[in-house]
Amino acid sequence: MAGTKRETNTAADAPTILVCDDDPPLRELVRAVLGPEYRFVEAADGTEALAAARELTPDVIVLDVMLPGLNGIEVLKELRADERIGNIPVVVITAWTHAEAEAWAAGADRFVSKPFDPDDLNRAVEELLT
Amino acid sequence: MRLARQMFLASAALALLVGSAFAALVLAVSAQRGATEREARSKDVVAATHRLEKLVVDVENSIRGYTLTLSGRFLQPYSTARSELPEQMETLRRLAADDPRQRARAAELTQAIEAYLAEYVELVLAIAQEQPEAVREEATAVEGKTRTDEIRRLFDRFLAAEDALAQSAAAAADSRSERAVVVGALGFVGSTLLIVLFGVVLARSIARPVRAVASGASRLAAGDLAVRLPPKGPGEVGELTRSFNAMAERLQGGRKELEEQNAKLRESERMKTELISIVSHELRTPLASVLGFTSLLLKREFDAPTRRHYLGIIDAQARRLTALLEDFLDVQMIEQSGLQLVEQKVDLATLLVEQVQLYAAQSPRHRLEVELEERPLPVHGDANRLAQVVGNLLSNAIKYSEEGSVVALAAERHGSGVRLTVRDQGRGIPPDQRERIFTKFFRGNAGATGITGTGLGLAVSREIVEAHGGRIGFDSDSGVGSTFWIELPGASEAAANDRGEEQ
Repeated sequence: MAGTKRETNTAADAPTILVCDDDPPLRELVRAVLGPEYRFVEAADGTEALAAARELTPDVIVLDVMLPGLNGIEVLKELRADERIGNIPVVVITAWTHAEAEAWAAGADRFVSKPFDPDDLNRAVEELLT
Repeated sequence: MRLARQMFLASAALALLVGSAFAALVLAVSAQRGATEREARSKDVVAATHRLEKLVVDVENSIRGYTLTLSGRFLQPYSTARSELPEQMETLRRLAADDPRQRARAAELTQAIEAYLAEYVELVLAIAQEQPEAVREEATAVEGKTRTDEIRRLFDRFLAAEDALAQSAAAAADSRSERAVVVGALGFVGSTLLIVLFGVVLARSIARPVRAVASGASRLAAGDLAVRLPPKGPGEVGELTRSFNAMAERLQGGRKELEEQNAKLRESERMKTELISIVSHELRTPLASVLGFTSLLLKREFDAPTRRHYLGIIDAQARRLTALLEDFLDVQMIEQSGLQLVEQKVDLATLLVEQVQLYAAQSPRHRLEVELEERPLPVHGDANRLAQVVGNLLSNAIKYSEEGSVVALAAERHGSGVRLTVRDQGRGIPPDQRERIFTKFFRGNAGATGITGTGLGLAVSREIVEAHGGRIGFDSDSGVGSTFWIELPGASEAAANDRGEEQ
């Protein structure tokens, strides 16, 4: 159960993005796509993602659906049920295309299917931050 | 017994009984008629006897009057009676001819009358012609009286005998007809009972089973294929129920077979769908990295080290895709046509040493150890497939343990076969994942920790080992390490159950 938390960026006022995916290359891809203007926190499973969200209150969460243990839909439902962190915008990003309806129902703000165009992800995050 | 034969026998018995009862009644009626005839004849006999007796009395009185008076006037009744007597006697003899004793008595009676006429009456009349005084003597009258008394006694005896005869005949006829009536009544009651019995038997043995078959058939038609009838009933009815049961059995068997095939089809359809969705997900994940980083590199400028780093990721993920495809093709091939083993005698010891040398070269930061109790260790099998299994276990042991730790491989004789173990000092397998570890695409938390793989290696390995007639398993403690083991049958044993457990 070795989730990786890696903080990036420097500026204190940079928006914080929580990236939750069980595939390390994909977490790195998300970081690379969104670029150095954000501060990143990474989580490798649902439990870690919830803990990080509660601790750091990120500005946007990029969430995979197929996660070991608690899956992304369950994480999303739990987030939305928590008053303090329930309003954080969430981008659901998954190779599991059947999950789209479920993701919307659970309260996703954007849905991006894997593989994705880097511009689509960029646009989704920027829209949610403005 | 056949039903038709049974019914024929029952009808014959009934006809016999009805016939006997009818015959008994006919006998009773004819006995009654015989008795009536006998009675009428008896009356005739008695009447004839009385007439004869009157004639004799007429003769007696006529002769007595004549002997006392010698007047020819008194002879008038005699001559009348004398002319009628022979005919009357003949009548009596004829009527009495039926019974031998009565015939004898009638003969004796008529002889006595004839003797009376010849030896007394005609003698008296002849004497009276010559010596009229002589017949007036006392002795003549006495003689006549003696004779007629004797005749009267014979009459009485004849009449009494006739009476007794008539009575006994009537009694016999009564008792015979009574018996006949009883027999007839019993026959009637018996045949009535027999008819009722016949009807009941007919209903029980034919109507009821036929009704049961009819209701069973309608239940069958309604879809209840479990319906069975008690295989009873005579002859053809029994055959009918047995045929019905056989038919229901075959229908049910057919439907069960269809349902089983259907369930199998559904299950294989479900597995195919699941496989496709898992595979598409497994393909999409590395593909997302490959496409994403490629797109980034094409669109943006990066410094050389970052570019190299991203290209490294693309390369690793593309290799991951290739490995996935190979494993997937293996699984596909195993599922479609079964594992085709190219079997020969293989020295497992040599094979192990080669694999360890190969992996030691690829993973210089792990310490690979081999422990072989003896060489060679012959098994019967497909050398390439067995190498694939050993390589898989070694690769897993290396991937799931820290750099610098020991991976120990050992093989020894185990019964008539060979047992092989691969021990690592890695993280071990959490208890909740142990059941699923040989399931396709199951990787535990490996993905989250950056350990690459397809989740197909152990599944394929198990297929290969089982196709060889062997077993695969593991012992594990979280945090201490895992030991995977394989047991393969020895060369001769494997050849013996050759193909017995082909999968």
